[in-house]
Amino acid sequence: MRNFELIGNFLLQLLPVINITLTVSVSALVLGSFIGLILTLGKIGSSRILRGIVAGYISIVRATPPIIMIFLVYYGLPFITANFFKINIEGWNRIYFVIIALTLLFSAPVAEIMRSAYLSIDKGQYEAGIMVGMNKFQIFYRIILPQATVVALPNYATALINLLKEGSLTFTIGVVDMVAKSQMIVSNNSGGYAWQTYGSLALIYWALSLAIGRVVALSEKAYQKKRQSISI
Amino acid sequence: MLNTDFMLQVAKATIKGVPVTLEIVIVSLILALPISFVFALLRLYSVKGGNQFVKLYVSFIRGTPIIAQILIVYSAFPSLLASFIGKSAFAIDPINYAYIVFTINAVASLTEVFRSALQTVDRGQYEAGTMVGMTSSQIFRRIILPQALVSALPNLTNITLGLVKNSALAFIMSVKDITAIAKTEAAFNYSFLEAYLVLWVYYLIISYAAELIFKSLELYFGRYRKQVKKRHYSNKEQLISVTTDKRRSPAQG
Repeated sequence: MRNFELIGNFLLQLLPVINITLTVSVSALVLGSFIGLILTLGKIGSSRILRGIVAGYISIVRATPPIIMIFLVYYGLPFITANFFKINIEGWNRIYFVIIALTLLFSAPVAEIMRSAYLSIDKGQYEAGIMVGMNKFQIFYRIILPQATVVALPNYATALINLLKEGSLTFTIGVVDMVAKSQMIVSNNSGGYAWQTYGSLALIYWALSLAIGRVVALSEKAYQKKRQSISI
Repeated sequence: MLNTDFMLQVAKATIKGVPVTLEIVIVSLILALPISFVFALLRLYSVKGGNQFVKLYVSFIRGTPIIAQILIVYSAFPSLLASFIGKSAFAIDPINYAYIVFTINAVASLTEVFRSALQTVDRGQYEAGTMVGMTSSQIFRRIILPQALVSALPNLTNITLGLVKNSALAFIMSVKDITAIAKTEAAFNYSFLEAYLVLWVYYLIISYAAELIFKSLELYFGRYRKQVKKRHYSNKEQLISVTTDKRRSPAQG
């Protein structure tokens, strides 16, 4: 019983800093999806050089541990801007560096997901669009995109949950997020109630992951419904 | 600009940590394989209680960041052990805790891999085994298992790469792996970027080496499978390859 009380207490102390985690994840989600889209265009495009560059980028990013990526961006970006553009960005809020690092990390799986979703759409769909006199943008927006979204959604959810989990490394460069806060609580209790504290931290992340899975499953269902009604 | 002498120094110092990183990855993988296989069977045969437990376990481990798991294990296990074996529990090499955490973590994803791999084997294979008079354990060992393991290999590659990447967090448990060594070198000389660049290269080399090994394993174990596939489905395969090639054209045109 005592443990439940403790965990409830720690949950209340940790929840106020959840906004850091959410800010980081949502920003990286938006920016990473955008860059992933650009990478996808490069990968399905006709330029062989561009395809090679994109493939190399994706393979390197996927082999990089998230924590190394955060360190590299945090120490490398100010170095690059100072030496090549004569801009000093060392005073930036540290959260920006995390967002940039996570954006880079997220863009690689997104590019792969978008590409495989795009390729999974039958070519006949494209031709049907031409037949009814749509232009290329209309075909993409009205025919390819809705179908590709359904295919991409489950993988997108997995990537998003991974992004959320990678975001837990924000504390390594000194931003006070939930992980840093829980470490503070533990050291305030001089090391006592450690597993209860970290347990409540894990519970918050678990709830967030389950919520993402649920939302994506629901929107997948909604899309599927629409799709069925069209095909009938 | 970058201090190349220091980078060489870091590279030399860090190489001592490579065996530690590899050890963590390999030991956790070897420990996780049998456990996750049993877990997958529990789910497949919907064993009462076991099924729910595995479901909850996988959902929890995959839904929480590895850092939270590290912190929980590293804070709970030493005192838990101390209540059994006394003060000597605090003298245990922290790498053992790393084994525990990364095994727990790998079991969750491996369970899903084995489950889907065992499901991919066609039911007809089982029936064929019954037809030639095999017992169900023979069918499982000689027919189902070899095919399932081959189809599990690509996912096993991904899990191993994930383990390599996650092992970079072992320094939190004061394990002296490559990240820990590079970090101390960096802090000691106050040149962080150089040290992390070297570290990055090490991780890229380890990851690509692991990928290469698994790719050759896939080729080796997949060789029988491909023959069978080609003989029966050659027309269909050609059809698929033609259509996928054509699909590129909307983007180009």
